[in-house]
Order: sequence, then structure tokens, then C-alpha cells
Amino acid sequence: MMGKANGVGVASTGPMAGTSMVPAVPLVVDHVAKSYEVDGKIVPVIGDLSLSLNKGEIVSIVGPSGCGKTTLLNTLCGLLARDSGHIRWYGQEIEGQPQNVGYMLQKDLLLPWRTALNNVMLGLEIRGVAASEAVDRSRAMLDQLGLHGFADHYPSTLSGGMRQRVALARTLVNEPGVLLLDEPFASLDFQNKLLIENDTAKLVREGGRSLLLITHDIEEAVSLADRVIVLSKRPTRVKAVYDIELGVERTDMMATRDSPDFSKYVRRIWADLDVVLQ
Amino acid sequence: MTTGMENGINSVIPETAQPLRLPTRQRWHKLRTMTVILATQVALLALLLGFWEHMTASDKQAAFMFGSPSAILGFLGQMARDGSLWRDTYVTGLETLLGFVIGNFFGTLIGLLLWYSRFVSRVVEPFVIALGSIPIIALAPIIIIWFGTGLISKVAMSTLSVVIVALVTSYKGAIGVDADQINLMRTLGASKFQIFRKLVVPASLTDIFAGLKLTVGFALIGAIVGEFMSSSEGLGHAIFKAGSLYIIPKVFAALVATIALALLLTFVVGRIERLLMPWRRIQ
Repeated sequence: MMGKANGVGVASTGPMAGTSMVPAVPLVVDHVAKSYEVDGKIVPVIGDLSLSLNKGEIVSIVGPSGCGKTTLLNTLCGLLARDSGHIRWYGQEIEGQPQNVGYMLQKDLLLPWRTALNNVMLGLEIRGVAASEAVDRSRAMLDQLGLHGFADHYPSTLSGGMRQRVALARTLVNEPGVLLLDEPFASLDFQNKLLIENDTAKLVREGGRSLLLITHDIEEAVSLADRVIVLSKRPTRVKAVYDIELGVERTDMMATRDSPDFSKYVRRIWADLDVVLQ
Repeated sequence: MTTGMENGINSVIPETAQPLRLPTRQRWHKLRTMTVILATQVALLALLLGFWEHMTASDKQAAFMFGSPSAILGFLGQMARDGSLWRDTYVTGLETLLGFVIGNFFGTLIGLLLWYSRFVSRVVEPFVIALGSIPIIALAPIIIIWFGTGLISKVAMSTLSVVIVALVTSYKGAIGVDADQINLMRTLGASKFQIFRKLVVPASLTDIFAGLKLTVGFALIGAIVGEFMSSSEGLGHAIFKAGSLYIIPKVFAALVATIALALLLTFVVGRIERLLMPWRRIQ
């Protein structure tokens, strides 16, 4: 049992290590439990889960299939109520949806009646940002993600990889401090996946944002993250935590895969998952 | 392998930049298929009419019982010349259109608003089912007592034929919206009204238009049944009158006008759908 997996990534978050006035940690999950009622029986999904996400840090969560990763994400976003424990965003417990948090799923969830640009603008529109500013920011975001010239295309005319890029743009244009991604690239082919992982890593690290990435892809977890948290089977607990140190540029997904320690991490996490043929 | 990754972001575009337009040969093929289908349809219709004409040409009794295409055409010409064709079609068209618009407006509005409260929708559900199961013709006597024998009673009949269908289809569309999409809106900070306006209403458009196309026929049935009960003009009136005088070809002539009216309304709804949902054209 690892218990609290708090701020172990000393190497990557150097500036904060020595100061006594530590700024509020973006996300702290403290002994959270969550269960569902199925046919009158209580089924515990999340047993007792604690973790934290520091500023500028990328943390991946991997776990065996059906271990309640998506339940965890929805609980963090305030879409599901937890049974017990505390969730603190920037040091505060809040009711409802946390502000300044971006959320993205495997399904791109683009609105088919909106063009790429208008899909990206959705969040700004909801928050009442002036239309001209929203257009400029959204266009810039699409350009950054390599979608220049596709702003006026409807989602149905874009490829899967491009649609997921639009979804990423829609998440990033709101300039969230924290991104919560649930298997965002799982439906993409290998090449598109690597490209969008590169861009994600770059945009997250350059912007000093924090990223919590839920995935079943161990290689994705290791290549992107500063820290990988392995979850147990249901009821879910933290089974192991790895600080990933690969000694290479962390925004190049091919270089991270090439580094000598990469497969060592992958093998150990694979062993932790304790996958058995069923 | 590594070389492809180097230029990162911008390398995505060339491979996927194909706009979805069919090449000329494929378009030509599609056009040809459509022409063949149309030609087959025309041939089928001609065959049917030819058979009908042939069977009734030599047999007086059959001609009396079933009419004949030439007789129907003759009546259509006569009705067009004396103006009754246009007046009857106009009257029935107006009744149908008013019933269609009023019924769909209120039905859709209520159906969409029911999305707002699961409690209210569950309370009203049995009432909606009960109202929906009433055959409209059973209401006709009451409606004539309440609204008289003029235009309003036909519009009321037409409206009642439409409103429940519109309500049910739009409500089904509204509650069918993907829960993940609603969650996404919530994480973007949307209020319930914003979710309704920016997500639920446009997402329901597909179902709403399916309902609109379905209710063109219902609105027409309502208007014609209303005319059957009591009227002095309209296509339903013409059908009823010709039928009671055993002038079968004239019944068919009025029926042809009714079908034309239904096709026209369906066509207009289809046009409006294309106009309001441009993103579906491109697929």
C-alpha cells in the first residue's frame, strides 16, 4: 500500500520543492470512496483513493479494465457525487463543476451542427466572452493544432484524428489550469496518436498546465507522464506509483519510447496490472 | 519511421486534407442510377394506368365502378376550368397548413420543454398516451359543436391530429441527447438553459423534422375528415359529394389533387429541413 501519493515528482517540479509557502496544489484527492447501487446491492467502485496533481505536472492513471477510471473522472468533475472523502481543487472543496478545468473523452463529442471553429468556441460562448475575441482565440488554437484552413468544416467532413484535435482545441482554448483526459486518443491509429500526444505534451508543458490522463495504454502513460499511478481492481485503490525519469525531451513521443528505461517502466506497470487471461 | 514524426503538428494536414467531393466518374454513376430508378417508376405508373384504361374502355360497368384514367383527367380539366379545383385545393390546403403549423408549434414546444423536468414529464405521460390514442374522427361531432362548421373546426381537427405526434417525437429527440454531451456542457460551465438552447434543441432537430414529415399526412387527414362531417367546400367536401352521387372518376380526381397537395407540403418541409440543417447536406 502506497497510501498518499503526494508530490513525489521532485525532479520535475523543482521550483516548488524548497519554498515554505507552497501555492495551492491544483488537485488533491483525499480518501475518496464511491459505490453504485445495483439491484438493491451496494457495489463499491472506488475503495479508498488518494492522489494529487501538482502544477505543471502530467500524471497518468492506468488500471485494469473496469476498475472505475471513468467513475473516478466523473467524480472529480463533480458530475457524480462521492460517498466519502475530499476533493480539493486549488485547496478548496467545491460544489458542482470545478472552474478552470478542461475535460475530454475518447468520444470527441463535437456538435455536428457547428463548424470546427464554432465547436472550439463553445466554452467561450457559454462564459460570455465577446464574439470577436472568441473567434480570434479559437482560430489561433486551431492553427496551433495544425487545423489551419479547416475552421469552417463541419465535423462530419473531418477525419477521426482531426476531430480529436478539434476536441483538444475546444478544451485548451478555455485555458484550463488542469486537464482531465479520459482515454482521449484510444480510438486513433498509431501515427495520429503519436502526433496528437506530441502536441498535447507540448501545449500542456508550455502553458504550465497540469494534466491528469486516464488511459489503458501503458506506453502512452509512460511516454507522456511525469508520474504513473497504477490502480487496483475494484474496489479501486492506488496500487503503485512510478516517477518516470527518461532523461529525454518529454514532448517527443518517439524519443521517450526510444529511451533505455522506457520498457523497464512498461514491464513493471504491466506486472502490477496483474492481467490474467479470462 | 522517426522521420515522419519530426515535423510534428503540421504533418497531419496533407494526408487528411481531401475534401469529401465525389470524383466525376462516381458522380456520373450516381446520376445514372437515379435516372434508371426514375425511369422504372414512370414505366410502372404508365403500366398501371394503361392496364386500368384498357380494362375499363370496353366494359361500361367496370368504368362506372372504377372510373378510368381518361375520365379522371376529364374531370380534372373540367374542375380546373370551372375553378372548383383551385378553390377546393386552396381551402383544404389552408386548413391543413394552419393545423400543421399550429399543431407542430405547440406539440414541439411542449415536447422540448418537457425535457426540463423529468418529474413533470412523468406526471403527464399517461395523459399524453391517453390523448394520443383517441381516434380523431371520434372528436369530430364535439368539435363541430364547439367550433361550428367553418374553417376553424377543420383547423382544430387538423391541429389535434398533429399535436400529440409532434409532442412525442420532439420529446423523444430531446431526452435522447447523449449524456456525455450534456456532461461536457456542464464541465464547460453551461447553465441548464444554455444546455437546452445550444445542445438539446439543435440535437432534436432530426427527430423534429421526422415528425414534421410524418404529420403532413396527419394534418391532411384531420382537415379532410373535418370536411366529411360538415362543409361546403374543400377537397374532402368534393370527394364526399362525388362519392354520394356515385361519380367515381370525380372522387379520383379530387384524390389526385389531395395527393398533389400532400406531395407539395412534404417537399416544402424537406426544403426547410435542408435549409435549417446545412451540416447534414455535406455527409
